[in-house]
Amino acid sequence: MSSRREFLTASLAATGSALAPRWATAAPKSMTVVRESSFIKPFDDYFAKTLAAEYEKQTGIKIVYEATSVGGMLTRLTTIAETKSGPEIAMTGLNHAHLFDNSLVDVSDVAGGIGKQLGGWHENVLDVVVVNKKWKALPWGNIGQLEVYRTDWFKEVGVTKFPETWEDLLSAGRLLKKKGHPFGFELGHGFGDNHGWLYPLFWSYGGREVERDGKTVVIDSAETARAVDFCRKFYQETMLEDVLGWTDVNNNKAYFGEQISCTNNASSILVVGKKDFPDIAKVTDHALNPAGPKGRFHVLNAVSHALLVHAPDQAAAKAFLKWLYDDKQMSRWLTSADAYYAPFLHGYDNHPMWNAEPRYLPYKESLKTSRPHTWPGPQGPAASESVAKYVLVDMFAKACRGDSTKDVIATAAAQLKQIYKAK
Amino acid sequence: MVGGREFGARLRRLYLPLAVFVVLMLFPFYWMLITSIKPNRELYSQKIMPLVVYQPTLKHYIDLLWETNFLVWTYNTLLVALVTTLLSVLLGTMMAYPLARMRFPGAAVVAIGVAATYLVPQPLLFIPMSDLINRLELGNTLTAVMLTYPTLLIPFCAWLLMGYFKSVPRELEEAARIDGASRFQAMTRIVLPLCTPGLLSAGIFSFTLSQNEFLYALIFLAKSEVRTVPIGVVTELIRGDVFYWGQLMAGALLGSVPVAIIYSFFVEYYVAGLTAGSVKN
Amino acid sequence: MAVRPATLARPAPVAGRPFTVRGLLEREGIFSWLMLSPGVLFLLAFVAYPFFYGMFLSLQDRRVASPGVFVGLANFVTLAHDAVFWQVTRNTFFYVAVTTVLKLVGGLGMALVMNQHFRGKNLARAFLLLPFIVPTALSTVAWMWILDPTFSVVNWLLVNGGVVKSGYSFLGNASLAMWSLVVVNTWRGMPFYGITLLAGLQTISPDLYEAAAIDGATTTQRFLYVTLPVIKPVLIIVTMFSVIFTFGDFQLIYALTHGGPANATHVFSTWSFDIGMSAGQLGMGAAVALAILPALAVLIVGLTLYLRRE
Repeated sequence: MSSRREFLTASLAATGSALAPRWATAAPKSMTVVRESSFIKPFDDYFAKTLAAEYEKQTGIKIVYEATSVGGMLTRLTTIAETKSGPEIAMTGLNHAHLFDNSLVDVSDVAGGIGKQLGGWHENVLDVVVVNKKWKALPWGNIGQLEVYRTDWFKEVGVTKFPETWEDLLSAGRLLKKKGHPFGFELGHGFGDNHGWLYPLFWSYGGREVERDGKTVVIDSAETARAVDFCRKFYQETMLEDVLGWTDVNNNKAYFGEQISCTNNASSILVVGKKDFPDIAKVTDHALNPAGPKGRFHVLNAVSHALLVHAPDQAAAKAFLKWLYDDKQMSRWLTSADAYYAPFLHGYDNHPMWNAEPRYLPYKESLKTSRPHTWPGPQGPAASESVAKYVLVDMFAKACRGDSTKDVIATAAAQLKQIYKAK
Repeated sequence: MVGGREFGARLRRLYLPLAVFVVLMLFPFYWMLITSIKPNRELYSQKIMPLVVYQPTLKHYIDLLWETNFLVWTYNTLLVALVTTLLSVLLGTMMAYPLARMRFPGAAVVAIGVAATYLVPQPLLFIPMSDLINRLELGNTLTAVMLTYPTLLIPFCAWLLMGYFKSVPRELEEAARIDGASRFQAMTRIVLPLCTPGLLSAGIFSFTLSQNEFLYALIFLAKSEVRTVPIGVVTELIRGDVFYWGQLMAGALLGSVPVAIIYSFFVEYYVAGLTAGSVKN
Repeated sequence: MAVRPATLARPAPVAGRPFTVRGLLEREGIFSWLMLSPGVLFLLAFVAYPFFYGMFLSLQDRRVASPGVFVGLANFVTLAHDAVFWQVTRNTFFYVAVTTVLKLVGGLGMALVMNQHFRGKNLARAFLLLPFIVPTALSTVAWMWILDPTFSVVNWLLVNGGVVKSGYSFLGNASLAMWSLVVVNTWRGMPFYGITLLAGLQTISPDLYEAAAIDGATTTQRFLYVTLPVIKPVLIIVTMFSVIFTFGDFQLIYALTHGGPANATHVFSTWSFDIGMSAGQLGMGAAVALAILPALAVLIVGLTLYLRRE
């Protein structure tokens, strides 16, 4: 099917260029960039209205911005990749650069230039955007997941600084639940707020799903069992039953309904709070995930731009990306998002955008200890499958609802063995 | 008949069950209504009685109409529904007529084929379908959904209309043909007018399903300006993990109103249409 | 309706000239196929082609943006050994079976009530149809709020009415979650049954009831021996359509629980979407979507045979 299309396109192109040789060298009139709607609307507006206009003035190329709904980017990207048509530049998140490797252009040259200008890239992001030693996407920031909590209620039970370890958090939670302010950590089939604490919990106890080689499933270990047992205790003693079915929106709702005192979330709670619930926002703060016996971790969620191979003029697209990521543009653009995105460039480690709201600083802090889903296993189709099937999340969720630790680990191991053996 | 006993029986058989049904069916709409006029303060408060509004506000409606493309979505939805309804009823009629009234080679195959298209689940179709749409360069256009919705609607229209067409006596048609009318004229001037309720019925059903469709619209209509109401409301009034509940409910309510109004006019036809269609099959 | 042949008369009768263009058009076979072809072509292009392509996909190991490798039935074998697949199957069947029964019974009740005469009958009918005609995406949003454990008005009523101590977790508890979805689907689908069965009821002439009453039949007997036999064909048709729709139900479940908690509410369509879209496994996703077919086919064949016998 695709070869027929290619033949058709090729013959048309040949005819076209034979008839009008001049046309083949003209710059594109416009290029389309598709991204998921940002949580921070001014960020999208700044791109669509300010930056696009500037670029058009400079180069005559119109930049069209297409927004998909949140959660719709993957579907859109699938369609674009499959049909080899549509926007030239698309947003990728998580490990999509690996999934769509065949459809993305090597942008190592652009990445190199940006890194040189802006102090080098953070190490841990390479895992998700570098495929077979080639850069396939250019990250512009991290959407971190941190602990969001009610400072006033914590103070009531004598906790003035957010607990350092999971065990300490458990103790605080017990006291808070008794006072009618339980915790609410997502254990359902959402996407961000469940992985946001379950992977860090898992890693901080030393748990691993797969080894770096991607061939050995090592989830069945004493470390995993400890993590699972802790999770069950944590759930039973500090949380409400409903969290088992929560998707990403429920903890926000519960937080604003003053139902919970602590959860794991991106900065959306504070952002909305400042606008709509100022009283609650005043007593809300962020903290890094607690540490376990094997360290402190966070989940990496890098959002990037990638260039599709079907783009008619790859050079022009790369030129645009180079311009966009230049400090002159990127600095302004990131500021318009109120530090919602934590950039992966060391040059921005002390950027003034962090000064606007000191409560966002932990998001910057967390970059150092952030790892992608299924780390240290290799990113790729198997990783995506295990995440899409909620292997890790369900393991913890089932344990919390009462299944035995042995059973849930065995089930997860069996699932992973099936997934990873499939290439 | 003594009033008391009669009333008691009527109460049991009619008013009580009717009340139960009305409350059950309409309660979510009442909920939509009051949520859409509740200020956020009241919405998120656990302490107050949720069934009433204390300080109603029109803010959500204003935000919805002014800050989003809601009116554009409404226009798109109605346009798509209208076009797909006309297309589906037309093609449905053209398929139902021969299947109901003619004998010809391959009739059984076609009948089974049409019924079989119903069994094809949407999740299976959407990737090949999007490939097709993109090759025809119809991505992000309303034409894409105008072409794909009828796949869901034509089989049902055909089935419904077949019941109707079968119920028209052959004698009428034959009399017309003896007098020199062509088959086409017999169809358009004799049979179809007799089946107007059926046509209306098929039209209403198509209209309903069309403005209810979600999956194809989600995949083909990515740009805000071409979206339909269900997609627009659900995707754009949710940013990240925050739902703009007040606006969502306002949008949900406003999205339901045009359909409800149309239905109140055509309910009789809808009911009558299903009678002939299903019983006589 | 009176037909006036005179107005339709044409000067020359058609019968005598079978080989002119018009003569050809008059032949039953040709006329039929001319009428059928636009519709048939349309369905071939937009349903048959994607369907066969989808089947072809299910026989491949096909990741997104990668060429496919033909693997025969390997995907199906993998699924057969996957415990989650069987859970999804159980969930789907449970969901379809329970909602169908509830919608049938409820719809029948609705129809019986609406078949009576009272003022505002038409208005009531229009109102009762609302859950079905309003876009599911929109009504689901209302239900999300109704099923939220803290804010749910149901919980509020139950707790404040002293019935229970603390609210139920409608979407967090695995079995409650499935039942909550059943309730929402039933709510949405009942009017379809109601209005269609009402149509059937209206074809029963009141004389039949009177005759039965005169013969001494009780209300129940009248229902069983007069009403039921007449509406049985309608019942079967509407059930068939509803079952097909419900097997493919996606939006409601995806929005409320996304298959959670822990796969307790995943059905074929949602799971297939996750595998195909989130995991990029197009071949496997197609295979799961196809798993709906055998069940549907059995059902349809069974129903058709049953109808034929009648």
